[in-house]
Formats: sequence, C-alpha cells, structure tokens
Amino acid sequence: MNILRTFAVALAFGALTASATMAQSTKDYGKALTLTVKTPISSILKDPRAYDGKRVLVEGLIIEVCETRGCWIRIASDKEFESLRLKVEDGVIVFPMEAKGKTVLAEGVVSVKTYTREQAIEQARMAAKERGTSARFDPSKIKGPVTEIELAGEGARVK
Amino acid sequence: MRGLKPGAHFPWRRWSIVLHRDIGYLAVAMTLAYAISGIAVNHIADWNPSYRITKTFVDVPPIAAASTPDIVAAAVERLGLTAAPTNSFRPDPQTLQMFYKAKVYHVDLPTGKVMIESTVPRRVLYEMNQLHLNRPKRAWTYVADVYGVALIILGVTGLFVLKGRLGITGRGGWLTAAGTLIPVGYWFLYLRWGYYSGQ
Repeated sequence: MNILRTFAVALAFGALTASATMAQSTKDYGKALTLTVKTPISSILKDPRAYDGKRVLVEGLIIEVCETRGCWIRIASDKEFESLRLKVEDGVIVFPMEAKGKTVLAEGVVSVKTYTREQAIEQARMAAKERGTSARFDPSKIKGPVTEIELAGEGARVK
Repeated sequence: MRGLKPGAHFPWRRWSIVLHRDIGYLAVAMTLAYAISGIAVNHIADWNPSYRITKTFVDVPPIAAASTPDIVAAAVERLGLTAAPTNSFRPDPQTLQMFYKAKVYHVDLPTGKVMIESTVPRRVLYEMNQLHLNRPKRAWTYVADVYGVALIILGVTGLFVLKGRLGITGRGGWLTAAGTLIPVGYWFLYLRWGYYSGQ
C-alpha cells in the first residue's frame, strides 16, 4: 500500500511536469498575430525612419535569445550581415533558449532610437554581460552616437 | 455531514484543523515546486535558473571567404561534425553561426576560433520554473489560481489550529504579528520612505 501511495505521488508529479514541457512544433507567445503581410527586415533597416512607430510583421531566423530573462531575441534579416532585435516586456513574453536557430514570425512596433556614445557603451556593456562576452568587450570600438532600430514585440509564433 | 443541533456552535476549530491538514497534504508538492523555483528565479541576475549554458572554445584552420554554403561545408568538415546544421547565419562578414539542436557554433572565419555554445535545460528546476512562472498558460493558470486559494485557506486555518497559550491568543499571535511586520515593514522602508534607494 505504501509503495502504491509513493508511486501515485511520483506519477502525479511526473505527469504535471511532463504536461508542462511537452514539445510542440509551433508555439505562440504573447498576443495573437493580427497582420498577414510580412515586411522584409531588410526594408526596415534600409529606411528605418519610414517605419518608425509602425506596426509590422517580420519573419526570420532567431540567432540570439536573451540569456537571463528571455526578454529579447535577435532575428536574422533576409539579407546577410543584418539583424533586428525584438524586445518584449519582461515577464509578459519569455522566449526559451531552445528558440535559437528556429524561425519566428513576429509582430510589433518599430522604434528608432539614437543613443549617445556613453549610452551606447553602457548598452553594449550590458549586452556583452548577457552574452557572457564581457572579457572581450572593447568600448573603444564605439566611436560616436549609435542609432538602434528595434521592434517592440507584442506577439510571436516560433516554428 | 450531520446537521448542527439547535444552539450548538459551528465546530470551526475542528474544520480548521481538517482543512489545514488535508489541503496541506494536497499542496505540498506545489509548495515545494514554487518555493524552490522562487529561490532560483530570485537570483536571475546572477544565473539562468532554467538552463545550463556552457561556452567552450576550439581552434580550427582559418576559413577563406567564399559563398555561405561553401563556408558552412568547410566549417562542418573542419569541426568534424557528422551532420549539416539545421540553420546558419552570418551576422557579419567574419562570422558564421551554425545552429544545431541545443548547440550553436560561432566561427570566426579569419582566425578559425570557434565558440561552441551549448544550452541544456536544468533537470527538474526547468520544469519547476516553467510551472512557477506559468509558461504553459491555459489550464495551468486556473491550477495556479486554485493553489493560491489553497494557500490562503492554509494561512487562515493555520491561525486557528491551536488554542490556548500557544494559539493565536498567545504565542501564535506574537509570531503572526512578527511575520506581518516583515512585508509591511519592508514596504514602508523600501517603497514608502525610499530608505534603500536614498530618495
């Protein structure tokens, strides 16, 4: 009877945790996607001011995920050497580390921000800390003000 | 359940004990999961509580500039990998990223330095964090709500389990007051008076 009881408790806990982590091929995060027409990331990066404040749907490969909170991802552009960061509200959407290397369809509002050199250095320092590359961080590489294009993400579908 | 005789008091203490005992048994697994995950997530600034991320470095011969498919093929061959990556990307002309399940290879093409980033969920802790932070959403939201209500019942019934010198009218009352001072005192010091932030 005791063995049976222990087994039942273990089974219940196992089922609970397994159901929470069951693998899914497609996973939605945050609000439902409302747009259907995709905007190439390269178009946004080519003329960011034209998209500033506009809602867009983008698609691309997830090349980086925030290592501490899963609160941002970096999406590869449709062109080489380009990418766009999608930032989400902390805790509202949490991207899992497994999302890296998968394709995402994400919706959000484009924001163009210009940082002073000091702000840009601080941002880069924090990013290096999150990436675990603080040792190789070189502030002298940041020469002047930096314009950063970001997507304030509201919903995403990881495939 | 038998009805109360006219004039008899509701046996609230007996019910407090019964509810406290049985809900306590039911909630023990959830309490452990939430408490352990709570401690882990509290220190999120210092570590990733859900994943073990390791970064190792290896050197391969430099890879000459070519088309991305050729560079990927060369990197796969030099790293001695048996399969092609599921995806690849070049964030800049000098770097190649190759994505495998749970592993990413960052190849610095001119030097041949490779950072291998491996991401593995922490056993048990990952599952606890998923539940505690309500990652599954949907039905789990309601399970967590029910658990919250259960904790409220546990807290309130706990006050009335004992009577007399050790109960709420004696030592228990002092301990309850001391326990209440922790959040209330902290709220005043930290949020209301800005003591810690120097406001």
